[in-house]
Amino acid sequence: MVIVDQLTKNYGDFHLDVSFEIPDGTVSGIVGKNGAGKSTTIKAVLGLIRPDSGHVAINGKDVSKLTGAEKESIGVALSDSGFSGYLNIEDVICILKNMYSSFDEPYFRKCCASQKLPLKKQIKEFSTGMKAKLRVLVAISHKAELLVMDEPTAGLDIEARNEILDLLRQYLTENEHCSIIITSHISSDLEGLCDDIYLIHDGKILIHEDTDSILGKYAVLKMDAPTFESLDKTYILRAKKELFGYACFTNERQFYAENYPNIVIESGSIDDLILMMTGGK
Amino acid sequence: MRGLITKDFLLIFKRKQTLIIFAVLALVMGFAMDGTFIIGYLTMLTAIVSISTISYDEFENGFSFLMTLPVSRKTYVIEKYLFCSFMGFAGWCVSVVIYMIGKLIKQIPVGLIDELPMLFAILPVMLVFTSAIIPLQLKFGVEKSRIAIFAIYGGMALVVFLASKLLSKSSIDVSELVTGLNALSPALVLMLFLILWLAVTAVSYLISVKIMEKKEF
Repeated sequence: MVIVDQLTKNYGDFHLDVSFEIPDGTVSGIVGKNGAGKSTTIKAVLGLIRPDSGHVAINGKDVSKLTGAEKESIGVALSDSGFSGYLNIEDVICILKNMYSSFDEPYFRKCCASQKLPLKKQIKEFSTGMKAKLRVLVAISHKAELLVMDEPTAGLDIEARNEILDLLRQYLTENEHCSIIITSHISSDLEGLCDDIYLIHDGKILIHEDTDSILGKYAVLKMDAPTFESLDKTYILRAKKELFGYACFTNERQFYAENYPNIVIESGSIDDLILMMTGGK
Repeated sequence: MRGLITKDFLLIFKRKQTLIIFAVLALVMGFAMDGTFIIGYLTMLTAIVSISTISYDEFENGFSFLMTLPVSRKTYVIEKYLFCSFMGFAGWCVSVVIYMIGKLIKQIPVGLIDELPMLFAILPVMLVFTSAIIPLQLKFGVEKSRIAIFAIYGGMALVVFLASKLLSKSSIDVSELVTGLNALSPALVLMLFLILWLAVTAVSYLISVKIMEKKEF
């Protein structure tokens, strides 16, 4: 569905250089710190910026050459951009009806009602959470086969975040072949949603792994300095000096659980992945 | 395209209060003044209001989302030209109707044939103005395009000033030139305007497409 091939983009000191592939029916999460290159990657996937080299293809066609009709199969929610704040949801419905041949008005209205979004209030008067929900609802309102979501949960409280993630989960249940690319720096949001995770740091993909593997095989090991000195570091990806001794990040949790019964092993999470892989030494 | 046009109409009608003030002003001027000022005023005003939809699109980074909708960048440009020209033309039609009603109420005889060239004259001006402003708005955005517009006006004034200086120094008789232009048949003048408008619009459109295709969001 989406192929990003040796995509590079330079902004002053920042250099993005990524390659990845999102097959049909896959939910892929892109995580990383602020400024790691997540949004730049998303913008390149959507053809909003021109790559310096490499190319991006959606359904086998270069993204810059997609026609209006071909773009109908893509649903997009950007973190910092949406319909004009002067419009209200009734206006948005009117626009979407004329914009997408497969716009599902009853479904969109039903979702707006269940999310308690007022139809006649100007969008600029919406709360941050309401705006975010509307952006996601617009993206899933026209039976898109590919959803591209840039930080859909940024700046929201836990309840609003869960509601947005539930909307996406429900959409996935109803549209099995749909693929999603979603970025977030609140990576715990992605654990229950994504099939695989890309960790981007300084414009490069550091890790690409199945979510289940990250949660099952990856772990944070905590130990004192002498234990760390004697530790077999073959499967240690990163080690970080802490107050108590050392925290190490491994992708072979089982190996250390069996051979070092005395060290503390904490299950890996995507947050650990980011913290350890982008901050450790 | 239909979606974009719907969006622009909705955005324009969001400014109901401003539009009502403009309409009242137009009516007052239409009935109070005898001249054709109303025609130029309303036609140019509707064109300017329509062009301002570009600034609405640009507001709060809206272009990024707009370009992810199922429209190409070229379609966006075409829609803007069609929408602004249509709105300017609609404004012109309304202004002509107000002008005529004003004349009828005051029982001034309407010499349609005599007045037609005067009534039509504003149309190419509006269309050329639209063609000049759209690429500037797309290239520089709302804030910077204002400076660009001033610079262009300044440049035009300078060109006219220099041309008049040159003409007065040269042996060309300006009054003869004006008389010659006046002698042209209205049909020929209309044809010249049409050719000028088509040429300016074509060049402006190509520039706008290039600007949009180069733009990063």
